Amino acid sequence: MGWPEILRFFRGPFLKAALLIFIGGMTYRLIRVLLLGWRRDRAKSAGSKVGGTLKAYLKSLLILPFIPWVKRTFPRNALTYIAGGLFHLSLFVVLIFGVPHMLVWKSLTKVGWPTLPTPVVDWAAAVGIAAMVMLFINRFVQPVLRLISGWPARLNWIFVFLPMVTGYMMTHHMFFRYEVLFSLHMIAVDVLLIWIPFSRISHFLFYFFAKTIHGAQAGKRGVTP
Amino acid sequence: MTAPTTTKTQAALNAFVKETGGWVAGQLEACTRCGLCAEACHFYQALGNPEYAPVWKMEPLRRAYQQRFTISGRIKSALGLAKPVTDEDLGRWSVLVYEACTVCNKCALVCPMGIQIGTLIHDVRTAMSAAGVVPADLHAAALKQVEIGSPLGVTAEAWRERLDWIAEEWEVEIPVDKPGAETLAVFTSIEVMKFPENLAAVATILNKAGENWTVASQGREAVNFGVFESDPELTKVFLGRVFDAAKALGVKRIMIAECGHSYEAFRWTAPNIMDVPPGIEITHIVRVMYELMKAGRIKLKAGAYADAPVTFHDSCKIQRRGGLIKEPRALLKVLAGDSFREMDPCREQSQCCGGGGGVISIKEADPLRFAVFGMKIDQMKANGAQTVCMVCSNCRLQFTEGVAQYNSGVKVRGLTDMVAKALE
Repeated sequence: MGWPEILRFFRGPFLKAALLIFIGGMTYRLIRVLLLGWRRDRAKSAGSKVGGTLKAYLKSLLILPFIPWVKRTFPRNALTYIAGGLFHLSLFVVLIFGVPHMLVWKSLTKVGWPTLPTPVVDWAAAVGIAAMVMLFINRFVQPVLRLISGWPARLNWIFVFLPMVTGYMMTHHMFFRYEVLFSLHMIAVDVLLIWIPFSRISHFLFYFFAKTIHGAQAGKRGVTP
Repeated sequence: MTAPTTTKTQAALNAFVKETGGWVAGQLEACTRCGLCAEACHFYQALGNPEYAPVWKMEPLRRAYQQRFTISGRIKSALGLAKPVTDEDLGRWSVLVYEACTVCNKCALVCPMGIQIGTLIHDVRTAMSAAGVVPADLHAAALKQVEIGSPLGVTAEAWRERLDWIAEEWEVEIPVDKPGAETLAVFTSIEVMKFPENLAAVATILNKAGENWTVASQGREAVNFGVFESDPELTKVFLGRVFDAAKALGVKRIMIAECGHSYEAFRWTAPNIMDVPPGIEITHIVRVMYELMKAGRIKLKAGAYADAPVTFHDSCKIQRRGGLIKEPRALLKVLAGDSFREMDPCREQSQCCGGGGGVISIKEADPLRFAVFGMKIDQMKANGAQTVCMVCSNCRLQFTEGVAQYNSGVKVRGLTDMVAKALE
């Protein structure tokens, strides 16, 4: 079996299987949490739960990732904020506004959108990779992170890092032939998709639980989230 | 194979499982272990021990949840890779969650996900309490409250004598068990024994405003060591005493005097853990003073404390989690005018004094809470305050002892007392 066949397999049937596992696994986890039961908070409200929730999202989506220093804790953990923020920003730029990824979305959803110029996306990718390296080192240096990070955290890092670095190498035609790198990129993506339901990378979904709870609770008590 | 669990650990695990609804699970699932919450914790900031990171304090809850409820956790347990919760763990975490955490919930504000870490640590306490792994001082105080009715051991007779003495000393009328009263004032034993001027102050203000109020001999204690231990049954028993007294007297509202955790317990927790008598409003003295001033029922001497800088300490349970933020400021704007200075940080972001959550009652935690208090000293140095006031007597006790410990000249006062002394 040559590289073209390998590529065809990992961007074809195997990708479909990986996507199924990803969607099935995440749906299972979502339903599992929803079915654990939710009690209504019977205390009388002192403010607006909806207002508090909106404030919490606006604060975390619009302000905090881009101006991390508004949080007082910033100076003591600047690296986590900056590298963590840049990593997510990079993901957003590359996955949504990179031409090849937009085309993947288009093939899945039939909806396309304008993309950013390749050099911008390319720089975003490089920044993301650099941020990942910093975050990895930080997990070994920062005492709290050392205490709370084990193999799951390291595996998460590896499985997220591989698609990033293979994608970058692929667009720059580094070291290997294009179809080899493309195949490696697709394998890495497939592995990541399969891994997500078993890991904490799933926080992209549960973020909405925690944030809504936080905002609603603050709103209910009449305080700023 | 996992080691057989003992009764202690099993009791803790059962409590964890009972706690785990979607509310808890949804938040535990969101944690990315970024470690940022450590920077919010005053214990970590002051002492630098990584085990004080809030995410680590809730670790037993996470482990129990993961092993019981998640696919990856079950796979790990089956392969023998999961770390089970052991008796040794319980002892270790009991120290972390009772002595190095005031359940101030500042971590929730810093968490990028918004996880209510403080509340989840309180759930860890529930499991510790179920397993009987509670610091001896804290549990002794809880038992005293069960038997005597006060964690400080103030008997009904001693309480009554103390009230008579206060009424005589400050020449105020304190109605006891008055039928037909509208407001039931509930004080803490700390106020009764250590800050008696607070009782006199509340009485002076309510009498001046013509409020129809009373205290109740059957519901005389605001403090709730069930909350500190996080034992739901004890919490209900202590809340129930006050609710029963309120029902018996037919009052329209219960007013908590200068106390934080009991305001939270009555206002936000009670309706969710027990049947509360309908139609009884829960309020706090700072809100009552604010409303009386707004309504013109009490008049304050403007600038009564304007001669030297005054600052206000925001209490976790009254301000950050209780929302009574504008009320003390409105009062202080009148009392101190431009001499009122905010601490940095303040309001919701305020840093806990270090004595809350029952920490102050545990002797072993003294070095921790005093180390934490050093940060409050710095904040008061930075704004040049000569007086600091607050509306929680637990905070006030911590401030009084902390200021002495650091030989600081800052005067510590209850806001209610300041208001009472500035009535026109």
